Amino acid sequence: MRTMVRPFGIVLLTALAALTGLAQEAAPIVSSQDLLNGLKDPGRWLMFGGNYSGQRYSPLTQLTPENVGRLQPQWVFQTETLGRFETTSLLLDNVLYVTGATNHAWALDARTGKQIWRYRRELPANLTACCGLVNKGFGALGDKLFMTTLDAHLLAFDKRTGKILWDVTMEDYKAGYAATIAPLVVKDKVIAGVAGGEFGCRCFLDAYDAQTGKRVWRFYTVPAPGEPGGDSWSGDSWKLGGASIWTTGTYDPQTNLIFYGTGNPGPDFYGEDRKGDNLYSDSMLALDADTGKLRWHYQFTPHDVHDWDSTQVPVLADLPIGGSTRPVVMTANRNGLFYTLDRTTGKPLVAKPFVNVTWTTGIGADGRPVLRPGQVPDEKGSTTCPDITGGTNFNPPAYDPALRLFFVNAREVCATFFGWPQDYKPGQVYTAGSQAKAPGQDKPFGVIRAIDPVTGDRKWEFRYANPTLAGLLSTASGLVFSGDDGGNVIALDARTGKLLWGFQMGSALWGTGPTTYIVDGRQYLLVPTGSALMAFALPREQKLPR
Amino acid sequence: MLSIAVANVAWAQDKPTKNPLEGNPEALKGGMGLFRTRCAACHGVDARGVRGPDLTGVWAAGASDTGLFETVQKGRPGTEMPPGLFMSDEDIWKTLAYLKTLSATPAPVSARGNAANGEHIFSARCSRCHQVDGRGGRLGPDLTRIGLTRARAALTNQIRGALEDLPSGYEPVTLTTPQGRAIRGVKKNEDVFSVQIMDTTERIQGYLRSDLREVRDEKRSLMPKFGPEVLNESDLDDLLSYLATLRGPAPSTTAFTPPAIPR
Repeated sequence: MRTMVRPFGIVLLTALAALTGLAQEAAPIVSSQDLLNGLKDPGRWLMFGGNYSGQRYSPLTQLTPENVGRLQPQWVFQTETLGRFETTSLLLDNVLYVTGATNHAWALDARTGKQIWRYRRELPANLTACCGLVNKGFGALGDKLFMTTLDAHLLAFDKRTGKILWDVTMEDYKAGYAATIAPLVVKDKVIAGVAGGEFGCRCFLDAYDAQTGKRVWRFYTVPAPGEPGGDSWSGDSWKLGGASIWTTGTYDPQTNLIFYGTGNPGPDFYGEDRKGDNLYSDSMLALDADTGKLRWHYQFTPHDVHDWDSTQVPVLADLPIGGSTRPVVMTANRNGLFYTLDRTTGKPLVAKPFVNVTWTTGIGADGRPVLRPGQVPDEKGSTTCPDITGGTNFNPPAYDPALRLFFVNAREVCATFFGWPQDYKPGQVYTAGSQAKAPGQDKPFGVIRAIDPVTGDRKWEFRYANPTLAGLLSTASGLVFSGDDGGNVIALDARTGKLLWGFQMGSALWGTGPTTYIVDGRQYLLVPTGSALMAFALPREQKLPR
Repeated sequence: MLSIAVANVAWAQDKPTKNPLEGNPEALKGGMGLFRTRCAACHGVDARGVRGPDLTGVWAAGASDTGLFETVQKGRPGTEMPPGLFMSDEDIWKTLAYLKTLSATPAPVSARGNAANGEHIFSARCSRCHQVDGRGGRLGPDLTRIGLTRARAALTNQIRGALEDLPSGYEPVTLTTPQGRAIRGVKKNEDVFSVQIMDTTERIQGYLRSDLREVRDEKRSLMPKFGPEVLNESDLDDLLSYLATLRGPAPSTTAFTPPAIPR
């Protein structure tokens, strides 16, 4: 009897569970501890940079320099929308959460790329987003996802349905504000900044309560007169100062500091109406995650007139410097210099060009760049290297802590910069200048470089025909993944830069990096290409339905 | 913030018939910068024409401020002149104010040159590589509309070899096979793994870099330099006169105007 009853009982329980919606395995929710664990669970990718360090370094080792040459496409997800991906997809419980152009979003089956839900936001026709109707990805906490919008809202989604749980306005898009950044979740707060540095914004970084969407703190990246740094702007220029934040920062749980790079001062190219250093534009900010209070700042390009936003990912690591282990934050800046800063004080430990640089001879003892003459844009034009897009840009770098190498997709391009006075009009582009192709320059090219962050020295490089903005991923097995300008995803040997594999996807990986994770015990490489996502894995026999 | 005296002109509503910023010193600064970034690559820093036409005589030739405003704003469909995307009305007036300072009384356009003889020269010297109305070679750019899209001075420089204009799709390249054979052509595309070319026999073909000993970008155009010793001044005048008559139909009869970018 007993042997008969027990199986029946289990069947009954299963049927009951199905009827009452009690899943056998509850859908996991994301805790703040899960976020601290980062990539320790190989079946998860829970935030923009993989973990709080922003290293984009995966501990996965199934793919190796020896077998990566056998990688094959597994599936392609076509969004069937206009506009390209700059997103980092999140993975949880075998489901991918993906944001796309014009504020579309999807939940996809990570095994097959098939859509589970789709979201599309109705956007106003008169958006003020300067540089593409893109989005950089979700943040996650609990059963919620968080996304910024091109009309400068912050949304919370139910991750099971794609339904909006709350919707808050960060700032009025009609005044030139937009948001494309992937939110960073720290403890119970959702942290996000705004774009608008080409529209005369006074920009900021915000933290919102993840449960309610209520704003908890705001840090203005341009101080008002009377505040510290307020005297670094002449006249009323601070009101249009820019210093937008549109690339996701990183977090150090030890010190409870978040790190964010800020954008250019406004207007971009003509500095006569904003005399002074223009704090905190083109800076690294270290803020208290609970209060938004500034702990320290370091300004890479004081009084910038070349539009060199410092909105690169601040990558955190601990490095052996001067006989001890120093906590640092590293960045390859748009101005062409690679920096290693002390994470506790913001003091620069290393500042060295990683591309051809003509505007400075390096930083002085006071930490400020020593300027070369003849590099200020005017109406006649002055030629400077790097160009406006910079030595690199917002495309995420990667860092291998075992090899102690920082990988960056660099650009060797110069330009002639022009600046002229311009009147500000709300909602109109406010750049007061532009750039043009530099006459007689060598043919520009793109190059992936590996940099030792202790010395700033270049260890290897991989060069290709034209500059691009593909992001990077590194793995503990000694691989670096990125893309060229021509539509290839590529794998390099992290030790030597040797090309190991590539696949022509038809459109460049651009503005974001590949990600990797385990589903069903198998390591996948996920790569955005144009308006599609491609998943790669090592080959195995296809199982057909019975 | 700035003191442009006419800053409050209602730009968008009633378009002025005359440039409201003409002679305004502040506006001229912006105009110079705008002209140099947006116009000079084709029309020259001095507006005397590089690839695009000489603009120094446009007013003398009868153009009006509003007509030029419209040309800058909307471009010239069917030519390489693009619409002035992201240019406010104020930007356009500034640009035209600066252009006016470069104006000169144009030299009388001489009718020198015999177009009929120029056509013979073209057939003999140029058509191996350049098509006109569907006849001729494919290695160089199609010249069916060259009379509309290139200034006489620019063509002179190109023919004489004083200007190395290597537009995308016509960059010279030499591939070397493992056996040491050189394949010369123009580059159509490339990436990390491959290069796509049209070779001098007009064969289009892609090559894997792994199958080649070398892919070398050349500095000199595949177009020969026609100096005075091979093409005298009189023949050059005839050839230029013929090229000026090449004003064929646009590739598509429907002019495409890019949709306005939301802002």
